[in-house]
Amino acid sequence: MIQALFLGGGVALLLAAAISAIGGQGSGSGRRRAALGLVIVGVIAWCSACAIVLADNSNLTFQLYQLTPQLGIAFHLDRLAAFFILIVSSVTACVAIYSFRYVEHTGSESRRDMSVAAMSVFILSMVLVVASANFFAFIFFWELMSLSSLFLVMFDREKGETAKAGIYYLVMTQFSTLFLLLGALLLHRYTGTFDITSAGGLTLSTAGIIFTAFFIGFGTKAGVIPFHKWLPFAHAAAPSNISALMSGVMIKVAIYGLVRILLDVLSPELWWGTLLLVFGTVSAVLGVIYALKEHDLKKLLAFHSIENIGIIVIGLGLWVIFGNYHLKTLADLSLFGALFHTLNHAIFKSLLFMTAGSVVAATHTRNIEEMGGLVKTMPATAAIFLIGSAAISALPPLNGFASEVMLFQAYLGAFQVPSPLTAVLLFTALAGFALMSALAAACFVKAFGAVFLALPRSHEAEHAHEAPMSMLIGPGILAAACCILGVFSYQILKGIGLDLPVPNVLPVSLVALTVFGLAVLAVRRMEAKARVSETWGCGIHAQTSKMEYTASGFSEPIITIFSPIFRTRKIAHREFADKDKSIVSGGSGEVHTLQFFEERIYMPTAQFVKRIAGYVSGLHNVDLDANVMYIFVVIVVILLAVGQLL
Amino acid sequence: MLNTVLYLVLNTVFVVAVSPLVMSLVKKVKAYCQGRIGPPLLQGYYNLFKLFKKEIIYSQNSSFIMRLAPYLNIGFLVAASVMVPIVFLPQISGIGNIILFLYLMVTAKFFMALAGLDAGSTFGGMGSSREMSLSAIIEPVTITSVAALAFVLKSTDIPQMFATTLHGSLTQYPTLILVAFSLFIVIIVETARVPVDNPETHLELTMIHEAMVLEQTGPKLALMELSHGIKQTILMALSINIILPLGLAADAGFIAIIVSIVSFTVKVLAFAVVVGVFESMMAKIRLFRLPSFFMLALFFSFATIVFELLA
Amino acid sequence: MNNALFGDDIIKILLVFLIGSAALVITQRSLTSLFSIYALQSAILAAIALVLFTREATLSLLFMALLTILSKVVIIPMFLRRLLAVMPIKRDLEFRYLTPISSIMLSAALFFVVYKAFTVFSASLAVGPLFLLGAVIGVSLALMGMLVIMSRRKVVTKIIGYLTMENGVLLFSLFIAEMPFIIEVLIVVDLLMIIVLSAVLAFGIDSSVEAFHKRLSQLGLESED
Repeated sequence: MIQALFLGGGVALLLAAAISAIGGQGSGSGRRRAALGLVIVGVIAWCSACAIVLADNSNLTFQLYQLTPQLGIAFHLDRLAAFFILIVSSVTACVAIYSFRYVEHTGSESRRDMSVAAMSVFILSMVLVVASANFFAFIFFWELMSLSSLFLVMFDREKGETAKAGIYYLVMTQFSTLFLLLGALLLHRYTGTFDITSAGGLTLSTAGIIFTAFFIGFGTKAGVIPFHKWLPFAHAAAPSNISALMSGVMIKVAIYGLVRILLDVLSPELWWGTLLLVFGTVSAVLGVIYALKEHDLKKLLAFHSIENIGIIVIGLGLWVIFGNYHLKTLADLSLFGALFHTLNHAIFKSLLFMTAGSVVAATHTRNIEEMGGLVKTMPATAAIFLIGSAAISALPPLNGFASEVMLFQAYLGAFQVPSPLTAVLLFTALAGFALMSALAAACFVKAFGAVFLALPRSHEAEHAHEAPMSMLIGPGILAAACCILGVFSYQILKGIGLDLPVPNVLPVSLVALTVFGLAVLAVRRMEAKARVSETWGCGIHAQTSKMEYTASGFSEPIITIFSPIFRTRKIAHREFADKDKSIVSGGSGEVHTLQFFEERIYMPTAQFVKRIAGYVSGLHNVDLDANVMYIFVVIVVILLAVGQLL
Repeated sequence: MLNTVLYLVLNTVFVVAVSPLVMSLVKKVKAYCQGRIGPPLLQGYYNLFKLFKKEIIYSQNSSFIMRLAPYLNIGFLVAASVMVPIVFLPQISGIGNIILFLYLMVTAKFFMALAGLDAGSTFGGMGSSREMSLSAIIEPVTITSVAALAFVLKSTDIPQMFATTLHGSLTQYPTLILVAFSLFIVIIVETARVPVDNPETHLELTMIHEAMVLEQTGPKLALMELSHGIKQTILMALSINIILPLGLAADAGFIAIIVSIVSFTVKVLAFAVVVGVFESMMAKIRLFRLPSFFMLALFFSFATIVFELLA
Repeated sequence: MNNALFGDDIIKILLVFLIGSAALVITQRSLTSLFSIYALQSAILAAIALVLFTREATLSLLFMALLTILSKVVIIPMFLRRLLAVMPIKRDLEFRYLTPISSIMLSAALFFVVYKAFTVFSASLAVGPLFLLGAVIGVSLALMGMLVIMSRRKVVTKIIGYLTMENGVLLFSLFIAEMPFIIEVLIVVDLLMIIVLSAVLAFGIDSSVEAFHKRLSQLGLESED
């Protein structure tokens, strides 16, 4: 039954890709809608399959294709895989609904067709990665996932920055695959099989090397600092429905890989937990600090993805640390907090990207300094974005808070750790966690305020239209999910059988709602007589949009406080009209923030690799005689080696 | 069930009733320190009644955020006040998680900041920007103090913490005095008092909290002022009932509740006097010098935890 | 038993206040409050000595506490305040090498480094964790005093930094070794002499060492260093 549903879903998506890719005459929107409809059908089939697996706790393995006795395509569905496939499916359903109207926005007919086809392949490959039972299938579908998403990122490839984003993405994704292959091959060498099962009998140093390889591989794809640089470029350049998929779902697939390795394949050591905790905290704090200076709406959201991945990695790190000290409740709390946060982040991040896509499509710009006042022309989009912002800022009673409070509870139990220095490290990480959480709230006040509130700052923003219905239903469903998952978090966790010390948000929400109602009743008489007039501006008559606080102004105090991290350089060049340099005739100014990772790590590495590649390619372009000489030399070396070894 | 309803109603009514008195007392103490007589003690109540009768004016640039923010504020802050037992310790358990308490206040602040940006005035934007920046920098101090509390009192549930200190005594947990210091600084920041912000003036240089409510009028402004007062009272209650819970009723007996109410009123008014005197002793610190000040507070609370762990 | 634990907690509280006062010394810009903070710091030190006296009843501890109060809480700050009354400089705003926030973070890191180093010796010292903590704080206090000397320009602040170092050494000796009374008197006399000298020099120096050199070289004189 489960197998049938699973394969049925896969077939539906392949059909969708085929319909879209083959094309035909005339308007393609009907064809594209049919394809997207098939995607939704397939995804619902997967959801049902996962629901059955989660309810029954069944373990299912089935073969699809056998290449050699060692290598084959096999799938394995257990609760963990089903949970992640459920995340992928539910978010994809809403994104597909959103895409009904969104894909009609830009690009030519053929390009839209290819985009829908590539999207179907992308979704299919993500689910198959999660369901893979051995590393061969895993890496095969991983590569398929990367390539199809690369296609999608390069949708607007005429723009220079999109090309740069695409190249960055390609390089980093190959980098991650390299490390995954390394890990898989090392595992094969020591256990003799490619299956994703428990690998016993590994020495500590070998397990450490394998873990590091997998961590770098999965961390690059997930966006852990310092391997994160591709994420803002790629997620900003892609069309918004694809950004929603990439940010909401693809980076979670990387997290699935990490969890699977730590849970089933290797047995984690203490230093792995410390490594995860440190990298997670750095990603979380730096992610949100970089997000504060961004004025490109989608880059801002991308940096917040980095921050939330940091939170999930922190949860995994805490799980490993507490597990090593045999503090079972705290370990469970951390692991389930991290998994719950994966679900929640998928929901609210895709919601945010989709509404951001509506806004960008309406105003034709990604720069939030050119938006403003959209709450009056796009009220439904604003309301949905508000729910997403409140969720990502971890405000009760929404779902972001529900998962972050689980991690806070785990942190507050840190004094039970017997080693005092580890406890001190945990408390330092707690201070960083608190800082990040508060800064995220600040950043979303800025984002929501600059995009939606006050007066419009450009012509397009003044004449924006509300998004069409399908572009509201998709994110709307996710917004409702945010509220339900948040308010009923305690009940849901109890219902699936987890007995964890999680606060019950429902009574408090009811109290707040009651007081809200009472206050509305108390004021309703005066409210009915309310008058509309102008904002108080110290006596200035007509208020323009130049008087309101801009996004740069909003984040200026925080950027000044954290200026050692930003290292803003201000270069001013003035031209003078007289020789005494007292009358300025013109000039220019530049403000550069330090792109630490790009300038100090990525570019030097790239230059170094380029130099080596230069030398090696020099060896290639030689004439026939030199080539024969190479072959001769290699044969002689092999003969010598054989003579020595045998 | 009856116990819970009684607790909800009594706690909320008491907190709402006593908050304007606390705010007025702080103003009176500051006035005396400055050599003036100051407004009468019941002025807080007179102000609220007056505001409820005034008309509401909305800016033409504002949206549903401005209309909803005061209701959301009072809703979330009253919900937070339910988690801090002041009249008696309720029988129901599991409603007082301290992280939930802190984040309910953050939610109220979030919507207040959005309302500040809504009207498109410069003052509101400035207030929102500074408020969110400062609350971000003070958050590590708050959480570290809460961690120290959880460490010493072995619980993250506020009613349980109060029960522990009520049945123990300060001599059992003397390190709580250090936590009280950090909490005092947190109270100063969260209630926008000197040296972080000056609640008396409406000049651009010193407005942080006042700037965000500048556009609110009539009953809406009354709700915002009341929620600010409630926030101050419940934060003070948290410190008071951890350091000196004497008089707090352990169950819902009639005499015990009266004793509890009277003793808490006395204690919170004494705290208000301390806050007033503290405010009069210092000048407001420059905005960009505040992070050093908060860093000191963080150092202090961090030292508390570390010394508890290492010794 | 309860009494000992209570005493332990009181010492912990006093130690936190002590290190808090040291952090304040590092970041304070106002010279008048620096002296009050130093007086407070010495008072806390005397209080710690008194609590230890109630636990161990060694008379030398009591004498040391009284002497500390007399010399460091009363006499020296009085001296310094008189000095400040005639000096035109009332604030010390410049930080060299380190900003206030990075100094605090550095002190926190220093504390852990010292603690790590001391845990190596803890077996041979055979003291409880509280006394080890006290010794570590003493050394950290001395290092923080050195931080003050290194990162501030005005001579008066440097004097306070030196005095903080002295306090740190005293704290260390309180927890690790028993100081005979005579040595204590010698140290205090030594300290008073240095203060008097510094006061004279500082009166002449007036603000920072560089300005003093400039003034001297303008007069055609060079100072011996």
